[in-house]
Amino acid sequence: MRHARTGDQEFGEGALITIDGTTGAVYLGEVAMIEAEFSEELAVLLQMADAMARLGVMANADTPLDAQRALKFGAMGIGLSRTERMFNGTERLPIMIEMIVAETAEERQSALDKLLPIQREDFKGIFTIMSPLPVTIRLLDPPIHEFLPTEHLLVEDLEHLHHLREILRGMQVLSDAVTFMNQTRDNQPQVQKFTDPVLVDEAILKKEAILRKARALHEVNPMLGHRGVRLGLTFPEIYRMQIRAILEAAAECQKAGVEVHPEIMIPQVCTAQELKRVKVWVDEIHATVEKLYQVKLDFRFGSMLEVVRACMRADNLAEEAEFFSFGTNDLTQATFSFSREDAENKFLPMYNQSGILQDNPFEVLDVKGVGRLMESAVKWGRHIRTDMKVGICGEHGGHPASIRFCHSINLTYVSCSGPRIPIARLAAAQAAILEGQRVADKAA
Amino acid sequence: MSTKWVYAFEEGDGKNKKLLGGKGANLCEMTQIGLRVPPGFVITTEACLAVVNDSKNALPPGMMEQVHSHLAEVERKSHRVFGGRDNPLLISVRSGSAMSMPGMMDTILNLGLNAETLQGLIVQTGNERFCYDAYRRFIQLFGKVALGVPEAEFDAEFEAIKQKAGATHDVDLSSHDLAEISERFLGVVRRSTGKPFPVDPREQLEIAIRAVFNSWSGRRAVDYRREFKITPEMANGTAVNVMQMVFGNMGNDSATGVGFTRDPGTGENVMFGEYLVNAQGEDVVAGIRTPKPVAAMEDEMPRLYRELLELRNKLEAHYKEIQDFEFTIEKGTLYCLQTRNGKMNAHALVRTSVEMVKEGLIDKKQALLRIQPEMLEQMLFPRLDPKVTKKPIAMGLLASPGVAIGVAVFDADRAEKLGRTGERVILVREETKPEDIHGFFASQGILTSRGGKTSHAAVVARGMGKPCV
Repeated sequence: MRHARTGDQEFGEGALITIDGTTGAVYLGEVAMIEAEFSEELAVLLQMADAMARLGVMANADTPLDAQRALKFGAMGIGLSRTERMFNGTERLPIMIEMIVAETAEERQSALDKLLPIQREDFKGIFTIMSPLPVTIRLLDPPIHEFLPTEHLLVEDLEHLHHLREILRGMQVLSDAVTFMNQTRDNQPQVQKFTDPVLVDEAILKKEAILRKARALHEVNPMLGHRGVRLGLTFPEIYRMQIRAILEAAAECQKAGVEVHPEIMIPQVCTAQELKRVKVWVDEIHATVEKLYQVKLDFRFGSMLEVVRACMRADNLAEEAEFFSFGTNDLTQATFSFSREDAENKFLPMYNQSGILQDNPFEVLDVKGVGRLMESAVKWGRHIRTDMKVGICGEHGGHPASIRFCHSINLTYVSCSGPRIPIARLAAAQAAILEGQRVADKAA
Repeated sequence: MSTKWVYAFEEGDGKNKKLLGGKGANLCEMTQIGLRVPPGFVITTEACLAVVNDSKNALPPGMMEQVHSHLAEVERKSHRVFGGRDNPLLISVRSGSAMSMPGMMDTILNLGLNAETLQGLIVQTGNERFCYDAYRRFIQLFGKVALGVPEAEFDAEFEAIKQKAGATHDVDLSSHDLAEISERFLGVVRRSTGKPFPVDPREQLEIAIRAVFNSWSGRRAVDYRREFKITPEMANGTAVNVMQMVFGNMGNDSATGVGFTRDPGTGENVMFGEYLVNAQGEDVVAGIRTPKPVAAMEDEMPRLYRELLELRNKLEAHYKEIQDFEFTIEKGTLYCLQTRNGKMNAHALVRTSVEMVKEGLIDKKQALLRIQPEMLEQMLFPRLDPKVTKKPIAMGLLASPGVAIGVAVFDADRAEKLGRTGERVILVREETKPEDIHGFFASQGILTSRGGKTSHAAVVARGMGKPCV
């Protein structure tokens, strides 16, 4: 029986507990709750807010359920839908692993063929719920080894399997011996048949293949490694499958009379060349799908801005991208050269306490540094594409102080998690009102 | 020209909280918009800083002269005499800085009482018991706050007399008992300080002002400012508010109470509050008598209830914000003693915003600006019933808001299996990884022992709107 320990208290697996994420408290047993309600007054207030705000508020949502909730909170579209989350379902992960372990392009394609209809259905679900609002879908972002079990776990599994094979061999010996002994006995004890040794061998082979792959894919610095568009360009089949799934889902929705406006977003871009290459696939698949379904699709192609170089080259990127979305978590890491986990666990608290840094830049957008980069990127991007849609989809998108800044640099929208949408809508309105008051004060 | 240290309520700038403190600025503003506030004046926060920064703790030159000339004005307006034997003026001396710091600094009531003025008060009010009660309260409060006499010494004497008189409650004590308590209290002060209790009201006032100023740099106040990050830019020094005492315990045509211009729990547009007939503020705080809801005043004191409603309407019309105010009725006259913006929960804030726009009291911009966006979070997640008082076994980081109840499960696979059967589960891990995602789907909430607000578990849980600690 496993246990969790908190100070001098302990509870075992299976114990009833209550956690309160609003206060951080953990209780043993059940504590009475009162349900939250989205009151009529709140709806009225937020409508007032929307009328005042210049910034739109979109949602980060990965599933139809998330989308449904986001809509209830008043999202004006989906600003970030992370496709990697969709590969993690129990029935999908094995196919994903099959795809990753594949040795040949054909093997990989066969796995992707199985994923295509699944992704298409995911997208259709979200499109239908959000219709006619825009839905921004980000193509696969994390390094693919994140989908594989850890090396440590695989090695352990293999050890168990090897043991099992030994045991089965022993069973075989016993079984033979019993057959031999039985010739001299009346009562024949049965040696039970356990697992087929062949099955174990197969399992070992499979695990070894995954282990080899996990080792091959190992990266010293995964967050700066083989991920995002880099991965998309080295394994074209993956992004092509996703682009196809998006456009087919859109086509099927449109056929069914559901108005959709998908936006395809490419992560980790650092040069326009990357966008150009992906754009070629998009154009090609776009033509194919339109022909196949006999519909005209309305969608946009855009880029995340989460790499410093991408911000510096925003004008170039704007030649290809129809919209930008700042990924301020990665952009903050890159601008500070901080790894978030290490920073927060090791030196950031000291930095904050001693006043070296005023705030945790992963919680409060660093307006002076990261913000300056953003402001320039917006300016450069719009220099090429005047009415360019620019948003933010990092966690900062839901924090009032950051929202005020996003307003001041003329972003088009902020995107945040569902429950933060009402907060963002109010903050967006306040940003507009306060700006108006400052202008009026100056004039006076 | 010498520095102006003192402002009458009629002349202080109601917007200058930095100079006059929140309470003082408000008293000036209320006086100037025509509400009935007892006459008085404010000694500035600048005077406080001069005192606490002075190595000898001296009052700034000229300050007491200004105090005395303003005090003369109060005497004139109240038709009473400070230290007068026949018709004595009693005053309150209260602290108040630019930021509200409840209970952190000192306040003295009934200042001006001594054996002589006490007799005058008895003649004035015809209520001997009340006067001895006021006297003993004053000696106690002044002794504690201004002279540093330990409270326990007063309490011991008080209990002794109560026992002797066979009284269970303070109200059971007769004026004779209270007179005896007063005498004993004077003895406590003499024993504790080695000096007799100061009888000269002007000396009392000077000691009291200095004590209130010094309470700004007292331990309690300093700790409070550090805890709530109150910087000198936000509040620097406390003002002292000197005001004529009015009494809610002068008979059945007197009362004291607190009010909200609207219900701070629900935001409903009805006056909310409590009052006690024939009582002083301390009686409400002490919980000896149970106050009545303010609505009951409509039957009990109909004219004053109408006046109170009028006061409430004036407050809201002027401040354009829900007000939390204190009032006292002295012999049929309603006084407003204090007002400040009411604190409300998110539900009430939203409702009042929407309704005040409908009523035309504020415009939409004001309605939107008066709510801190983060407060809305309260309204969007189920919360623990605030009536429950259970002790948590651990406190963690607030990774994703909301409450979850379920069976602790230590791995994602088991969480999924159990979750499928309809069991409510909470995924408990050291930390989570992307491959735990199916466990997230199946869980009501996530509890991890490692990681910050931006670690995997927190980010994913927030995205899903699931509570996470």
